[in-house]
Amino acid sequence: MTRLLGWILRYGIAALFVVAAVFPLAWMAVAGFKAKTEVVATPFQFFPEVWRWDNYTQLLADESFLRSLGVTFAGAVLFAALSLTVNALGAYAFARLDFAFKRILWVVVITTMFIPGIAIMLTSFVVVTQLGMLDTLAVLVIPGAASGMQVFFLRQYYLGVPVALEEAAQLDGAGPWRIFTRIFVPLSKGAFVVVGATSFLAFWNAYVWPVLTITDPELFQVQQYLATFRSDRASEMGLLMAGSTLAALPVIVLFLIFQRQIIAGVRITGLK
Amino acid sequence: MAVTTLRAPARDTRSRGRPAGRGRRRETKAALIMLAPLLILLGIFVIWPLLHAVYISFYTWSFYEAPVFVGLENYLTVLTDQEFVDSVVRGLAFTAMVVPAQVAVAFLFANLVKSVSRKTAAVLKVTIYIPAVISEVIAAIVFSLIYAYRGGILNWFLGLLGREDTAWLGETSTALPAVAVPAIWIGMGVASLIMLAGLLDIPEAYYECASLDGAGPWTKMFKITLPLMKNIILFLLVTGFAASLQFLVLPLIMTQGGPVDSTTLPNLFIFRHFTNDLYIGYSIAAALLLFAVLGAVSALIFRLVRSEKAVDG
Amino acid sequence: MRRQLTAILLIGVLAGCGSGAGKAPGAAQGGRTEITLWQQKFTDQEDAWYKKAVAAFNKAQDKIVLKHQIVPADVWDQKMKAAQAAGKAPDVYTLNYNKVPGFARTGQIQSLERLIPADKWTGLQESVVGSIQYKGQKYAYPMLVEPSAVLFYRKDLFAQAGLDPNRPPATWAELIDYGKRLTTKEVSGVVTAGTAVDMAWSTWGLQWNAAGHLPISDDWSASQATDPKYRQLLQVYQTLYQQGIMPKQPLAPYADANPMGQGKAAMMVCGSWAAGVLLSDYPKMVPNIGAAALPSFDGDPAKPTATLGGWTLVVDAKSKNPQAAADFVAWLLAGDTTLLVDFFKTTKFSKYSPRAAVADAVKNDPAAAENPWAKTIEEQVVAHAKPEPTYDWAISLAFGKAIEKALQGKDIDAALKAADAEIKDFIAKNDLAGQGSGS
Repeated sequence: MTRLLGWILRYGIAALFVVAAVFPLAWMAVAGFKAKTEVVATPFQFFPEVWRWDNYTQLLADESFLRSLGVTFAGAVLFAALSLTVNALGAYAFARLDFAFKRILWVVVITTMFIPGIAIMLTSFVVVTQLGMLDTLAVLVIPGAASGMQVFFLRQYYLGVPVALEEAAQLDGAGPWRIFTRIFVPLSKGAFVVVGATSFLAFWNAYVWPVLTITDPELFQVQQYLATFRSDRASEMGLLMAGSTLAALPVIVLFLIFQRQIIAGVRITGLK
Repeated sequence: MAVTTLRAPARDTRSRGRPAGRGRRRETKAALIMLAPLLILLGIFVIWPLLHAVYISFYTWSFYEAPVFVGLENYLTVLTDQEFVDSVVRGLAFTAMVVPAQVAVAFLFANLVKSVSRKTAAVLKVTIYIPAVISEVIAAIVFSLIYAYRGGILNWFLGLLGREDTAWLGETSTALPAVAVPAIWIGMGVASLIMLAGLLDIPEAYYECASLDGAGPWTKMFKITLPLMKNIILFLLVTGFAASLQFLVLPLIMTQGGPVDSTTLPNLFIFRHFTNDLYIGYSIAAALLLFAVLGAVSALIFRLVRSEKAVDG
Repeated sequence: MRRQLTAILLIGVLAGCGSGAGKAPGAAQGGRTEITLWQQKFTDQEDAWYKKAVAAFNKAQDKIVLKHQIVPADVWDQKMKAAQAAGKAPDVYTLNYNKVPGFARTGQIQSLERLIPADKWTGLQESVVGSIQYKGQKYAYPMLVEPSAVLFYRKDLFAQAGLDPNRPPATWAELIDYGKRLTTKEVSGVVTAGTAVDMAWSTWGLQWNAAGHLPISDDWSASQATDPKYRQLLQVYQTLYQQGIMPKQPLAPYADANPMGQGKAAMMVCGSWAAGVLLSDYPKMVPNIGAAALPSFDGDPAKPTATLGGWTLVVDAKSKNPQAAADFVAWLLAGDTTLLVDFFKTTKFSKYSPRAAVADAVKNDPAAAENPWAKTIEEQVVAHAKPEPTYDWAISLAFGKAIEKALQGKDIDAALKAADAEIKDFIAKNDLAGQGSGS
């Protein structure tokens, strides 16, 4: 009896989780089939009066939307790759190597995690302007790649990798580069997926920075494109919802592909 | 700064029995090359702009007039502004709602995934991530509809249970918690997966041994699970704190900071000054003070949660 | 080692594609001067009109190439300030009336009198000219005005409730009474601004109406927020909210007219732009809707109930080609009226031109009848409206917060006193005294 109760409880909570996580997405996808005046209508109605495909078809026929998806996707992949490289190398050095000024550098790196964006928005814009980076993919990919938070995460993870693994390699005369590439990188698959996914999403959902730095319509980012449906007085709600749904899909698919890795082989706890 | 309590990793983790001199020099060289991309990028795009911002904060600056040096005046103005102080306190109250809830939800989720069938677990793992995919703007719109006074889903549902309609976003007492819910929701996915990864990392054998000793589920949780997850919980607390003290879009769209400033979180407060002030010194100084608050509280969290072993390997 | 190389290569490649692309702004392109226009994102129809206008300008002459960019409203300030910080501000941009004097005072925009000949300034509405001036110089060219507060009401619901559908409320007591009778489970009697931010600007007209002045003296040296005449304004909001006549939480931001179109409001206070949304998105609802001025507190219909907001074009103070920029402004706003008339048609006659030549042409346009409220709004609201105040937003917000406190049931005198203290503090901290030029 208690067993059955436990089962009901577990699956009940599981169902609750699924509903809570999926409901807004489902609502958004369905709202994409609504007329613009119907989306925020109350009393609340989940399904549209009439299912309209025109929001979706209009978007899918819009070259600039598809291009923005493509450009953002390419940028996000580059961004994730660059930030993984930069941050994993740094994290490894902080976790395993011994060097001068280590402590102070560590504090500096981790402190950057807490800088409110608005504090340095203007001054970083000045920097990228002076570097001539405006209106390039580089201005979206490079400035945010180094991340204190990711270094923190990966270092915590590397601290948990058993020392015994490298000791053998060290006896064979392997240096830090060999140990990093041969031992740590292969072990990092799961952690890399978690960190990479976070970077990818941050890039995908970025809005303010692209608006600041990108004026070339060829390089428009997807959130920048979607913002054209919003205004103070009369938003194109149906298109906004359909567009947001289409923009969420590639990310969800990507996540489905990588979901196994996310759980497999992640060791972060520092256990032996 | 208070962050010095974040300890650098101890030196002796792995250098036992190795000649120090040459090895260390070689390591320093390798370390510098490995760190170079990180430090260069941070230096150019984060630290230099930060120093520049600090410099600007000592001036009255509109970019068009000659800047006037005012020393600490901007900071004094901010610190003596009751509204700023209130917004920071409110922000801390907000994080006190969001962060523990997020960690608790993540913990519940991770334990749940462990205890259900493989298939259900797979479904859970995929769906939990979805909130992270949806942009904050959309989340704010959806939750505004859920909270709508007339015809909102929440009031409709409570109406079935015979409750009167509540103005969730219109009452000073409920508005902040009402904004906290989507904040928890947005961060739930990533936190849950990280927590799950940590949980799966604990060897089954520990629990089996404990069972043989007659330990119940609570004992296992407090004696095995929680202590071994300290590192993860620390990470989630610190990053969750840093993220939730900086929410801007949610209150901006859902309540405009009202009613009576009950949802004016620090970043919204700064944002308002940033957009409306003719000079930028005030908002930059306020943002830098918020930075100090974030750093100080995070250092405190490190100190509270830290155990030598967990953090330093 | 491979990883390190990849990293370096990647950075190199990315930086490489960065360096080539930056073109110097303002550079001549085939002998033509290049200038930039930033336009805040409005409705799709307005954006399309701007695009058309820019194309026409580039075709109409061969000295200037105008680059046009639409900037989302929610990041406008970030983008503008970042650009200003980096010396990349556009040559011409859209700006609200209430921001013009402040921008002039801090040197962000330049006087246009030198750049646009005197004959181009004739025929502009007197009060509007007042609001684009700073120290006797004109700093912006006005494009349109919109009254900030109009009462839209549902004639059909009036009839159902036994009220005369052709007699909108003439006093606040009536408005409250009607509102009470019109409120049902589904429909709010009155929908209006419900947050401090929205009330801060949407009640400017009512602040004039209630007290005959704004909460700060004309020269910005003293707070006038504790004028007992303001009590009636706060009292009205308190009654509307506390008695459940207006929704307990805003259905939408003040500027958004959708609640009326969706049938959620029996009466709605909104700017004249609401007409545009109602006409294009809710045509079926239009015959049921009437428009009127808000009531005056003392019953005198000739007192202002709204302020005239709207947009101007300004020239950046650091523009390298100020004359070219001003030439465009004059071409668009002070020259041939055809294009402008088209603008007011596109926006369904929900906005008004401050330029007599354009206003007359718009009025006489046969299509003008499609906006059934335009005439009433012009005669009853626009005619008596005041220009937008030009003081800092903090002053407006302080008063908006006072109304919000009243709304939430707090003591009215205490709320006004708090606003008074806040305004005084702001005056002192920002040396405001003497900056104001009256109105």
